[in-house]
Amino acid sequence: MAQSIEAVTELSRPADRGERLRRFVDTFGPFITVGAILLAWELMARQQIVTPFLLPAMTTVAARIGDDLISGRLLLDVALTLYRAFAGFAIAAVVGVALGLLIARFVTVRWFFDPIVSFALPMPKIALMPIFMLWFGLFDMSKILMVAFSLSFQIVISTWSAAHSVEKELVWSARSLGASDRATLWEVVLPAALPQILTGLQVALPLALIVALVTEMIMGGGGLGDTMLQSARYVDSPGVFAGIVEIGIVGYGCIAAMGLIRKRLLAWHQESSNGGTM
Amino acid sequence: MSAPATAVPGAGAAAPGTGISISRVGYEYRPPRGRPVLALENISLDIKDREFVALLGPSGCGKSTLLYLIGGFMPLQQGSISVNGRIVTAPGPDRGIVFQSFALFPWKTVIQNILYGLEKRGLPREECRRRAQHYIDLVHLRGFEDSYPSQLSGGMKQRVAIARTLATEPGTLLMDEPFGALDSQTRTIMQDELLSIWRRSPMTVIFVTHDVREAVLLADRVAVMTARPGRIKALVDTRFSGAADSAEVVRSREYADAVDHLWTLVREEAVAAGAGGRP
Amino acid sequence: MTAALMLWRALPVLILAALWETAARTGLVSEHALPALSSIFAALGGLSAGDLYYHTARSVGRGLIAIVAAIPFGVAAGILIAWYLPVRVLLNPLLQCLYPMPKVALIPLTIIWLGIGDVSKITLIFVGALVPIVMAAFNGARGVDRTLLWTARSLGASEVRLLWEVVLPAALPEILNGIRTAIALAFILIVAGELVIANDGIGHMINMWGEAGHYPGMFAGVIVISAVGFAADRAWVALSAWLTAWRQ
Repeated sequence: MAQSIEAVTELSRPADRGERLRRFVDTFGPFITVGAILLAWELMARQQIVTPFLLPAMTTVAARIGDDLISGRLLLDVALTLYRAFAGFAIAAVVGVALGLLIARFVTVRWFFDPIVSFALPMPKIALMPIFMLWFGLFDMSKILMVAFSLSFQIVISTWSAAHSVEKELVWSARSLGASDRATLWEVVLPAALPQILTGLQVALPLALIVALVTEMIMGGGGLGDTMLQSARYVDSPGVFAGIVEIGIVGYGCIAAMGLIRKRLLAWHQESSNGGTM
Repeated sequence: MSAPATAVPGAGAAAPGTGISISRVGYEYRPPRGRPVLALENISLDIKDREFVALLGPSGCGKSTLLYLIGGFMPLQQGSISVNGRIVTAPGPDRGIVFQSFALFPWKTVIQNILYGLEKRGLPREECRRRAQHYIDLVHLRGFEDSYPSQLSGGMKQRVAIARTLATEPGTLLMDEPFGALDSQTRTIMQDELLSIWRRSPMTVIFVTHDVREAVLLADRVAVMTARPGRIKALVDTRFSGAADSAEVVRSREYADAVDHLWTLVREEAVAAGAGGRP
Repeated sequence: MTAALMLWRALPVLILAALWETAARTGLVSEHALPALSSIFAALGGLSAGDLYYHTARSVGRGLIAIVAAIPFGVAAGILIAWYLPVRVLLNPLLQCLYPMPKVALIPLTIIWLGIGDVSKITLIFVGALVPIVMAAFNGARGVDRTLLWTARSLGASEVRLLWEVVLPAALPEILNGIRTAIALAFILIVAGELVIANDGIGHMINMWGEAGHYPGMFAGVIVISAVGFAADRAWVALSAWLTAWRQ
């Protein structure tokens, strides 16, 4: 009877008929509304209710995306953006998880990093971008490091709290079964904390994309962010809208991929399939 | 061992239109994915006014579901339920409920929790406070009026929940394994207190439990339910003549016999449900 | 916390600061790459300091307006989406589209639609802040324990009262958390939006000073906006703790 979510709606809709309607709407509703929005968009643009400059027709935007795809520019942009986002994400993941585990394990490390991390965590790190440009130039290096820096503290904190929340009994059992200090860390604490660590990484991933796009908008050098900002500069509104759609799809793809990876890594772990979002 | 239930103090013979009448009730859970589960099948049960009835059965037999249907919290799919002659369609202040999980509003203090239902009834402010204080005293929580639930022990939380429900003076009290989350000493104390409150001001009580001793000790009548799908397997009178003190009841021969009898009935069902495993 | 303990806690930060100052002073690192801390602090009170605070105030003002506007909208939308089918049908797909979208992709759109002034920036931050607030209110409202709802109903609460008296307070911890995320995101969007293109605001000034080679000013700008971001987060955490004191 573990269906508290169902129960919430039961209250407001006592009839069985409502139940069936709800299920229909939950399944097909999104398609209907999205269809309606797209239709309204096309009609508004066609009828010139809004000037094409502010709202180019959906078909124009779709054609633009098609052109970008055929010319290969879209793939190149996506590849560049993803390369920067994922390279930075990978650095942040390695550094963040390692540091997080060390902080959870060693008092000295905790003493040194705790104030630094808790100070840096809520800072808008994107403000450091001009400094990164100054230090590492305008190319991929500064973009990747900016992404890595923006994500690291968050991953440190989530790893730390994940390792901290591993049950003491589990660690003690491993110890009494003869596991060494290091083996306990690698063979018990890390896997036990893995679900929460992955949650931290999942939360950090969209930020990687955000920072990568901003760095491209500011420094140029290709990628979806750069291309889109160029379109805005040359008041090329189909380009801007194409960019939004492309970035939206890439963002959605990243989140979906991360969800799949999580499922693979956590096959042993019993968790509800709906991980917090809708 | 069975005195007729009509001998409940203060209660007359069950007149038509009083008490609770459950007639051919069925209920099926339809999870968003997977097969529907038949939780209740063809349940019929008449409960007299001011009778204390326990619903007893193994975990997952649908006894809580039946209680929620009487409360009007879930839509009735089959059959009908009426309380004091009125068909149940929605929750109402005539049926108070107490949950195992206490269901206290964690953002309200003890007295604010108890005031909530009173204020809904539109009573004057002074009257609300007076009554709230009365019920706080009744459950021995004087001095904790301004505590938040998170500062209370499990037993104290359940006292607040009981006081909150009693304060609105519902004719019917629905209790969903109310003492299931408490340690055994606290549970014994709470059982005694519930009995003494009920003896002073009897009302209709439906008490869901899977604890045979608790059912026998508290109830006038015990309805034993079968494993899923839930049906009424047996109705057993458990009213003992004369004994006022529950410690005395527990030592009596009738009590031991009743527990033994019910335990056999429940055990068969628990075994049938898969060695009593939780679903 | 005693003074000694606070010093002990702050010591690592002080060590870093000391290393920074020595590296810059001794010429180990070029003055251009890393101005000495002392010269940055001098910039905080120097000639351009008035500019610095003015532009910071402009940026923070934009963020504040957007967040304050986003909170009632986001909370109401989230709870109604969780509660009412028609609202869910109408708004859920929009949310599904906006949720995975990196909000900075809206920067170019706000530029062509609304220009580079206040309206454009505030809209950007508003939309960005709205999404985490809606999500939090939605999840919070959906997660309300059903026994709480049933209890309130049986005590006589009407449906509208139920939303206001039970669902909202029960979802409050999650909503407050969502707003914290929104504040962090708002700072990113403020600075990013202004770094990309703007006429004023702290992001714009950091950029200008960087291009002009006025590095102490640039670092000072970064430090000021970072400090404001830090302070905003701490203040919100403190406010949240106060609002949910009943949780102990």
